[in-house]
Amino acid sequence: MAQLREAAIAGVYQTKQGDLSDRTQPDVWWECARGACDDAGLALGDMDGLIGPGPNGTGIRGGLPAAGLGFDLLGKPMRFHADASIGAAKSAAGLNLAAYAVAHRLAEAVVIDTAVAGPAEGYESADRDAAIAAMAMLSGPYEYVYGTTRVSDYAVLAMRHAHEFGTTPEQLAEIAVAQRHGATLHPLSVNGHRGEITIDDVLASRMVADPLHLLDCCAINQGGGAIVVTSAENVRAAGRHKAVGLLGYGEGHGHIDPNAEPSLAEWPAAAIAAKTAFELAGLSPDDIDVAGIGDHFTVNVLFGLESAGFCKVGEGGSFVEDGALRIGGRLPTNTAGGFLSFSHAGMCGLFTLIELVEQLRGAAGDRQVDDARYGYLNGTGGAMQNNFSAILGEV
Amino acid sequence: MADYAKFLPQGVPDWQMPYWDSLRAHDVRVQKCDSCGAFRYVPQEICPRCHSSMATWSPISGEGHVYTFTVVRRAPTAAYQADAPYAIIHVSMHEGFRMIGSVHGIDPDAVAIGMPVRVAYDDVTPEWTILQFEPTS
Repeated sequence: MAQLREAAIAGVYQTKQGDLSDRTQPDVWWECARGACDDAGLALGDMDGLIGPGPNGTGIRGGLPAAGLGFDLLGKPMRFHADASIGAAKSAAGLNLAAYAVAHRLAEAVVIDTAVAGPAEGYESADRDAAIAAMAMLSGPYEYVYGTTRVSDYAVLAMRHAHEFGTTPEQLAEIAVAQRHGATLHPLSVNGHRGEITIDDVLASRMVADPLHLLDCCAINQGGGAIVVTSAENVRAAGRHKAVGLLGYGEGHGHIDPNAEPSLAEWPAAAIAAKTAFELAGLSPDDIDVAGIGDHFTVNVLFGLESAGFCKVGEGGSFVEDGALRIGGRLPTNTAGGFLSFSHAGMCGLFTLIELVEQLRGAAGDRQVDDARYGYLNGTGGAMQNNFSAILGEV
Repeated sequence: MADYAKFLPQGVPDWQMPYWDSLRAHDVRVQKCDSCGAFRYVPQEICPRCHSSMATWSPISGEGHVYTFTVVRRAPTAAYQADAPYAIIHVSMHEGFRMIGSVHGIDPDAVAIGMPVRVAYDDVTPEWTILQFEPTS
């Protein structure tokens, strides 16, 4: 085998998040791919690797996305494609696959792109009713016949966590409050324009599935984003950005049916993902300056913090209640707003990753965390079903 | 019952049908491992404890207590919303596994963790019965 080389994120791009129903998925996909390449100082034609979906992701084109990108669209063969099966977190988990391709010289410029646009259709719709109905069927028939929703899938976990550890609605609400502040500082966020919220605002928002209120829940919106990964050497030679890459990575896959989990208040598979990532990086939670934790609901952030060892299992509520997650706090988390307030479009873990890249570049503007050197990224698919953890930093 | 507008089980493989048939018969059966004796639910091809593929659909006590729950106030479709708010409960069965179901015979806001419940049945169509629980009084 040829000598391995370091990979790094060369470019990132995001659209304004919101309602893109008047556009098409390929249109948004290409905007994001071009944008990420521009940010990297690369040309669109430099792209020779793809993680996840391409443009026009349906039918055989969707099933063979790199083939569809080859001579058809880029006028040349693509050299690499792979995908990660971690639900909404899969695009960010794809960073590991992109780094593999670059490290092994299987490709020079690997794009990861998520784009959701177009008229109402299933769970990628901007139409709330259509999206909620489609997502309800993501559970198996042993759950969905009872009228479960993605919110209720997490609500039962939050309820058990509160029962075992005394986690309060106010503690969960603080997560939404901290993240909304970040969104108000990000012009592309879906909810920033709605302004700051308070703990009382969260508690006064209507209950969706006890104990989760509307403002404990992620946005339902469309949008796009992309990154391009190349060698750290290329990124340094381009001289545009700090070469931010993977220092450690791990996965943990726990269950499909929640009945099988020994407990619904703590998550061994998520803990395995985090432990693996920290061990490979040679770092510990104390070293982390800024975090991005998948937050379909506020309670996910508690699970992410506890699973990674930022606090003990059961102590997530007290960890967050003094403002630890705010910009300027002990562990600024989801500083652009996360799924709650930045965007929950498509494989939304990519937006969480992009915010960490901007933080570690020192390019996060008003949201910048001082001396951000190491970032922790965590994503979960389903209701705590699959998990990945990544440690990011300059390579 | 062509007017039943909620979700019915779709794509259930034949080998899982003994469970659904047992609900329709109001005599719930759950897989019990022939090798180690562990019950498992939802139906699975192999035992997660000993990895044996041999199991027998076996009767259970039908009794347990609420492990966790939620009250759904924003339902997935209009048909469910007509019943909202409704509780969904996860039940720790006496045999040591958990089941999920709806609950009747109690105000959803009165459901609490630890509450004793027992299996009941909701005959939603002539073909399908779904698992339900009721408070043990």
